[in-house]
Amino acid sequence: MSVLQTQNISKQYPGTLALDRVSVQFESGKIHALIGKNGSGKSTLINIFSGAVQPTSGKMLLDDKEIAFKRPSEAQSMGIATVYQELSLIPGMSVAENIFIGRLPMKGPAVNWKLARKMAKQLLDELEIDISPDETVNHLSAWQCQMIEIAKAMSLQPKVLQLDEPTSSLAQSEVESLFRIIRKLKEKDVIILYITHKLQELWNIADTCTVLRDGKLIGTKQMAELDRRELIKMMFGAVEIKSMPSDLKYSDEVVLKVENLSDGRKFSNVNFELHKGEILGIAGMLGVGRTELLSCIFGSQRAKSGSVYLNGKKIENPTPEKMNKLGVAMTQEDRKRIGVNLNGSIADNLCYASLDRLGKGTVVDRKIEKQYVSRQIRDLEIKVADPRYFVSSLSGGNQQKVVVGNWLNTEPQIILLDEPSRGIDVNAKQQIFQIIWDEARKGISCVMVSTELEELLETCHRILIMRNGGLDKEVLPENITVEDLYAICMGE
Amino acid sequence: METVKKRMSVQQVLTNYTLEIIIVFLAVVLSFISDYFFTVNNLLNMLRNIALQGVIAFGMTIVIVSGELDLSISSSVALTGVLIGLVGGKLEDAGIMPLEYGAVVGIVVALIVSILVGVANGWLITRFKIPAMIVTLAMQNILYGIAAVISKGFPIITFPSWYSYIGSGRLFGVIPVPVIVLLIAFLITYFMLGFTKFGRATFASGGNAEAARLSGINVTKTKIIGLVVIQICCVISGIMLSSQVMSGTFSFAKGWEMNAIASVIIGGASIAGGIGNMRGTLLGIIFIGILTNGMTLLNVNDYVQYIVRGGLMIFAVLLSTFKNSQRA
Repeated sequence: MSVLQTQNISKQYPGTLALDRVSVQFESGKIHALIGKNGSGKSTLINIFSGAVQPTSGKMLLDDKEIAFKRPSEAQSMGIATVYQELSLIPGMSVAENIFIGRLPMKGPAVNWKLARKMAKQLLDELEIDISPDETVNHLSAWQCQMIEIAKAMSLQPKVLQLDEPTSSLAQSEVESLFRIIRKLKEKDVIILYITHKLQELWNIADTCTVLRDGKLIGTKQMAELDRRELIKMMFGAVEIKSMPSDLKYSDEVVLKVENLSDGRKFSNVNFELHKGEILGIAGMLGVGRTELLSCIFGSQRAKSGSVYLNGKKIENPTPEKMNKLGVAMTQEDRKRIGVNLNGSIADNLCYASLDRLGKGTVVDRKIEKQYVSRQIRDLEIKVADPRYFVSSLSGGNQQKVVVGNWLNTEPQIILLDEPSRGIDVNAKQQIFQIIWDEARKGISCVMVSTELEELLETCHRILIMRNGGLDKEVLPENITVEDLYAICMGE
Repeated sequence: METVKKRMSVQQVLTNYTLEIIIVFLAVVLSFISDYFFTVNNLLNMLRNIALQGVIAFGMTIVIVSGELDLSISSSVALTGVLIGLVGGKLEDAGIMPLEYGAVVGIVVALIVSILVGVANGWLITRFKIPAMIVTLAMQNILYGIAAVISKGFPIITFPSWYSYIGSGRLFGVIPVPVIVLLIAFLITYFMLGFTKFGRATFASGGNAEAARLSGINVTKTKIIGLVVIQICCVISGIMLSSQVMSGTFSFAKGWEMNAIASVIIGGASIAGGIGNMRGTLLGIIFIGILTNGMTLLNVNDYVQYIVRGGLMIFAVLLSTFKNSQRA
């Protein structure tokens, strides 16, 4: 049996203390879940174990021997293997090649393929992974790739195996197959650290659960003795929920109706109605298909079946271009990748969605453009030195305001907001909520998706819960606590 | 604020006007080496020589900013001359109309073909997500083959006498017509990229195609328009080329894509798309023009010139990569 230990380990970043004197202990033969919300320090801790980050102070011990790494390769050679969320497999190569990449058995100057295949076969059999070593990786599905990643890590015969969000891209049925393999690993004398956002998985896979919050260790519990409410309390502490301004009322008029919508993968038969001036929250755990739902309504992703009605009129084959013209806006979750054009100026990024409105004909009317830019900068209080600067020069919060401003310039009737507070600081969050409320007062309706459920309680009139592949419950923020909301989302 | 005019630091001047400084430096050096360089005649000649490829470089700027590439241009230029000569000749042979008018019909035919080629390029690239490099390289071969087949491999020389004015004529007896054409093409493309909705959409599509699509911009349409514009530029260039020699030959304009792309990149565009401007491209064209002119005046071997231009392009790409990485 081996033990991985930290003693008073801390990590100071400029301005933030990511880990604050954390002392934990993990034994082999068990699956240890490591959880905490964004910014809790759990990523920092895994990165310290994997050698990607060096602690500011404190000690790490593996089997009572002090260890310290300058780089990830040192952690690997000490027997700490990490499987990251982003897969590192090379699509065009075989399974065997991928597993032994960089250390394939040689016969003279040539690779000993026969031996490599045999070694891979033996490893896969041992882990009961039913995949041929000769299969090319691009023929495998996401969960099979995840298993090959695990096999690759196990081929190093590690003492510690870190799994970072292994199920994030998997469908529900695939998760169980992966879990079977992970449970199998317990029989080997390995310390398994399991990081996940999907809390509902924990009771299914983990033996113990270590919770971090704001860089501090909150505690380690046996999963068998832990109930959902207690876990949520540990993760979030005492959360103060502010309520939305009382003057926000919405009318009975239905502006958006979604009927039996399915994306063919994550959700099916979703039905809901959105009213004029209403802020509707969609709650659910990570990966249940919230983004996909919004994308299917907005037309950036093709729905498999079902229909979307705007003001009672059915929309055939929605596309972002069509929905934009019809007064529907959508702000994207992944801001840097698909939300803004980082090569463009702030001014450009504020006018992309409203290009058609910048004057009649084909020429851009600079006067209107200037008005559009300055009105958003003023109304949203975007902090810019000069709108001609690149949008990449702004902070996350201000970039998010540019994303919102880009859409407000289209004077939309409905705004779909996918994680509007992701990666921005507390103040900017409050400002974004204020903007949403201001728009709702003008009679604009919003659908908002957020992982931080307390934000939904604070911002929304009504919350729909997405779980088990559909929208199956409705709650009102005034009647529910954040603990209950999390518990419902997890399927209680 | 208005009264406080900030003076630019030396470093800012150097980074903002790098090309201008290099061009002036080159010109000064060349005028010391060769007495002939700074004559009106030589400068106008130089401009006339760069006009043909310059027009294409403007189209290439739009295409590169939109995040695509067009390598089919050399064949398009050659095909233009062949088509115009052939259509004019055939119409005269058939007794339908004299060569004087036949050439005009030929120009219209060449324009229609160019639009079809541009749409085909754009459709294959956007519909099937085939890299532009592959599609347009294949198109280069197809058009080259078509030009050779329809001309049966011979130069086509059925052009009316007025036709030579386009390539060899001089306005007021001084300014070469191609220089005027270059100027007009510059103004039009400068306006398109900088002042129209299409221009904004082009930058968005090249800078982040998915973000542009999700903002409701028709990325496909934008890219196809760019690829049509460059083909029209090829027709204009092809008319001037065939007019200068009064002949349309299928093997004309080989390797022109190299100079066009080099001018655009030297002008500060990013080969990854989303960044670039016409002013820069114009300077890039002038820079390559002066360099070529200088090398010719100094009797530098033709093939050595190839080496210099190729090396220059790599240098320009390195410089732009460096500049863009500094920003991020």
